[in-house]
Amino acid sequence: MSNKLRTAAAVGICKAARGALRLLHRGGTTTPGKLAMKVDSNILETVSAGMDIIVVTGTNGKTTTSNMIEHALTASGHDTLANKSGANLLPGVTAEFTSHATAGGRPKQHYAVIECDESALKQVVPKIHPRVILVTNLFRDQLDRYGEVMHTRDEIRKGIEACPDAILCLNADDSLVVSLADHVPNRVVYYGIDVPVGDQKEAEISDARYCIRCGAEYEYTYHTYAHLGGFHCPKCGYSRPATDVAVTAIEKTAMAGSDVQMRIGSDICNVHVGLPAVYNIYNAAGAVAAYTAAGFDRQEIFRGLADVHSSFGRMETFDLDGTHVQMILVKNPAGCNQALAYIAGTGEDYTAVFCLNDRTADGHDISWIWDADFESVCGDPHMVSVMVTGDRAEDMLLRLKYAGLGNRPAEIVRTNSELIDRMKQSSLPVFVLPNYTAMLSLRADLSTITGKGAFWQG
Amino acid sequence: MEKLKICHLYPEVLNLYGDRGNIRCLERRLEWRGMQAEVTRVGIGDTDDLTAYDLFFIGGGQDFEQEVLLQDLGTGKGDSIRSAVKDGKVFLCICGGYQMMGNYYETHDGIKCEFLGAVDFYTKGGDTRMIGNYAFELEQSSGGSTVVGFENHSGRTYLGSGVSSLGHVLKGYGNNGTDGTEGCRYLNVYGSYSHGPVLPKNPAFCDELIATAIGRRTGNRPTLAPIDDSIELQAHDTVLQRVLAGTAGRED
Ligand SMILES: [Zn+2]
Repeated sequence: MSNKLRTAAAVGICKAARGALRLLHRGGTTTPGKLAMKVDSNILETVSAGMDIIVVTGTNGKTTTSNMIEHALTASGHDTLANKSGANLLPGVTAEFTSHATAGGRPKQHYAVIECDESALKQVVPKIHPRVILVTNLFRDQLDRYGEVMHTRDEIRKGIEACPDAILCLNADDSLVVSLADHVPNRVVYYGIDVPVGDQKEAEISDARYCIRCGAEYEYTYHTYAHLGGFHCPKCGYSRPATDVAVTAIEKTAMAGSDVQMRIGSDICNVHVGLPAVYNIYNAAGAVAAYTAAGFDRQEIFRGLADVHSSFGRMETFDLDGTHVQMILVKNPAGCNQALAYIAGTGEDYTAVFCLNDRTADGHDISWIWDADFESVCGDPHMVSVMVTGDRAEDMLLRLKYAGLGNRPAEIVRTNSELIDRMKQSSLPVFVLPNYTAMLSLRADLSTITGKGAFWQG
Repeated sequence: MEKLKICHLYPEVLNLYGDRGNIRCLERRLEWRGMQAEVTRVGIGDTDDLTAYDLFFIGGGQDFEQEVLLQDLGTGKGDSIRSAVKDGKVFLCICGGYQMMGNYYETHDGIKCEFLGAVDFYTKGGDTRMIGNYAFELEQSSGGSTVVGFENHSGRTYLGSGVSSLGHVLKGYGNNGTDGTEGCRYLNVYGSYSHGPVLPKNPAFCDELIATAIGRRTGNRPTLAPIDDSIELQAHDTVLQRVLAGTAGRED
């Protein structure tokens, strides 16, 4: 078969498989890509050739940050491809590009925003040649798949080494992320939060306490959250670099979002971030850094941030027969703590639902729930009652007992339909904190009921 | 009795995988019975007198950080730990902390890293990780209860002749995936690969440690008053059932 024919065959089989799976009401994010790669091992390079691509990776905030950038691009009239489905491994990314290409395998769009799994980065970026690679942060995550956070860092590094021409956008507040710039020729843009956030209490559990270069313990001039902040090593001098894009003041935080001041180079701008919580301020700063580094107009991303919608299970809201339900995906202690701090800070009575699965995509190891600060919600008198669900509901309930649940009503709910019924009957707003596969399944059922689209309908 | 004194060794380095759940469990199960615990964090560079403690907890860690730790052990803390072991003090050592109590760790490429030698065993690096929910039954000398946990290690541990295992594997890998042993029990050292929060879900194991520590301190091993463990046992039983049936941790 000639190259052209092979490409066309790969595109055809990918589109056919994707269409068929969707007719069956299945997301079908992996199989079509695998089939396409089997027919033409070079398909991803072909169908992404010549595009301007921003890749987002890192432990937390990939999806939301990608969503912010994609939203700004699309709203500003740039025809943009994005893997909104969260299929962020090689087959999923391949399927996304391939199914959007012409029958001959040429890209229809010029721009793309791709969120990419940390360990898949080294497979994906050599084929799509991104203009910008944004690394949000590095926390412990899904330990049984990747082993350790240092291993994850090394995996990302392999991806970066394959792309010497890409501009790196790195979180300056994360000592692990900053180390990715060591001894690579890439142009680097640093972003961060220049001011303290939160109570400045040093985290009891830190994912990066010791200097990655010399092993001495870091000192901090201020903290934002987890191990992020103004770090410096007293022994070798390794320290938080100067920032090109930085949040210089947090003026207001509310359920509807945050007002911040951002410095870009030497210009100070007022920015509204339409999603709540500190981690979304980080996501916004990262989005601005990547957007401007890629050469787009900063006003476009500012507008995008102001009316960005919550993406797929991340701060997404549902109206369930009058009950306000907000879903916040939690996957690891750092992200979970932020979500818990957010719901414990709303100041209104609520019901909390914790959904814990231990499937492959979640990581089979659920030990991390003991590192997350469930004490913050259990110490919040506004958390009136609790429901737990998922494969490991019993473990979750035990964790809450230790966190100080006390004699609040708490029950194990077995199925999504039972949970949805219970939420409908609730007179209080409900916060649902699921981990990944629990989110997927609950979101699918909630969408069916509330008429929200499935993920491939965006 | 006065407070039970608990020493959390190297909490700033050996803190992977939710280890602090174990400390919480020890504290709470003492409190729930009207006793008190006093937890002291002893880290790198700290020169506390280790003879003051009744119970030591050492957790798991990342390879990168273990170098920092081996240097510190060489400054005299290693000797204090070995004395405490000989003294019959209770140690709960998990994963990396467990390996550290042995004689050495030999990497896959044959590089030997000398460890504490407080207990006669050694560990060899393997090329595959042994990962998953697993279950083992404690030997009668350690109470005989069934423990469910999660293991994640590439090291294979082989016990010396004077050291007994903590338990025998019901499902999973244990020390080395071949001889059916899990963990070690030597004097009052309890070593295990069951990382993270092993104690909350296995209250009988936690009580074994508490009773042994109080017995060592007072010369009179107590029978601990029962407490309401319904939530604990519900978590224990559901996971145990799934582990034994091979259905824990689904793929989809
Ligand atoms: Zn240093």
